[in-house]
Amino acid sequence: MHPTSRLLARSVWKGPNIVPLPIIRPKLGEKLLPIKTQARSATILPNFVGLKFQVHNGKIYHEFSVTEDMVGHKLGEFSPTRKRFAYKQTKNR
Amino acid sequence: MVLILSHNFADTRLILKALTTFYGIGPVVASQIMARHCIHQTARIGSLPDQKILDLTAELSTMKIENDKRREIHDNIQRLRDLGTYRGRRHAMGLPVRGQNTKSGQIQSARKLNRVFKEK
Repeated sequence: MHPTSRLLARSVWKGPNIVPLPIIRPKLGEKLLPIKTQARSATILPNFVGLKFQVHNGKIYHEFSVTEDMVGHKLGEFSPTRKRFAYKQTKNR
Repeated sequence: MVLILSHNFADTRLILKALTTFYGIGPVVASQIMARHCIHQTARIGSLPDQKILDLTAELSTMKIENDKRREIHDNIQRLRDLGTYRGRRHAMGLPVRGQNTKSGQIQSARKLNRVFKEK
């Protein structure tokens, strides 16, 4: 039997990529502040669920909130880095 | 002709080949099933006793094959798509998912295979 591709991606002995993020839990009644980060390779841990993240894509900080299904994925997967090509006609020629 | 899981097979067909006609069963899984039922690799459908055919049908009906397997794969892709991941996006665009180059014409198989297909 073969291991799944998820297992092949990273050695098990390393564990998940845990990056120290400045997570501040909001007190009751306070607004949830997004966490601004450039650590795209950080694994989403179960205790991130419900938090808001702003993940850098090289240009802007792309905001999303973490749901339960996202656990195990990386932060960078949810912040697209490529722009769709669109042809723009030049005016002055 | 022998009926296995509502598929008709000719008597002269190799069992290994007959099993691999099911979606979700490749040569490896087929030979594992045959080993479990003590069937020789070169045995043909016609040489099987009725009891073995019933056993095979019973085993296949418990496995995730054909439409169940297709649905599983579809659901996995749809999950990525709904999450809004990069991989799901690439599947929807019909482009390579794992960072392959897209400049030249080497992405034909991705165009063919990577898409969020509709349920039939």
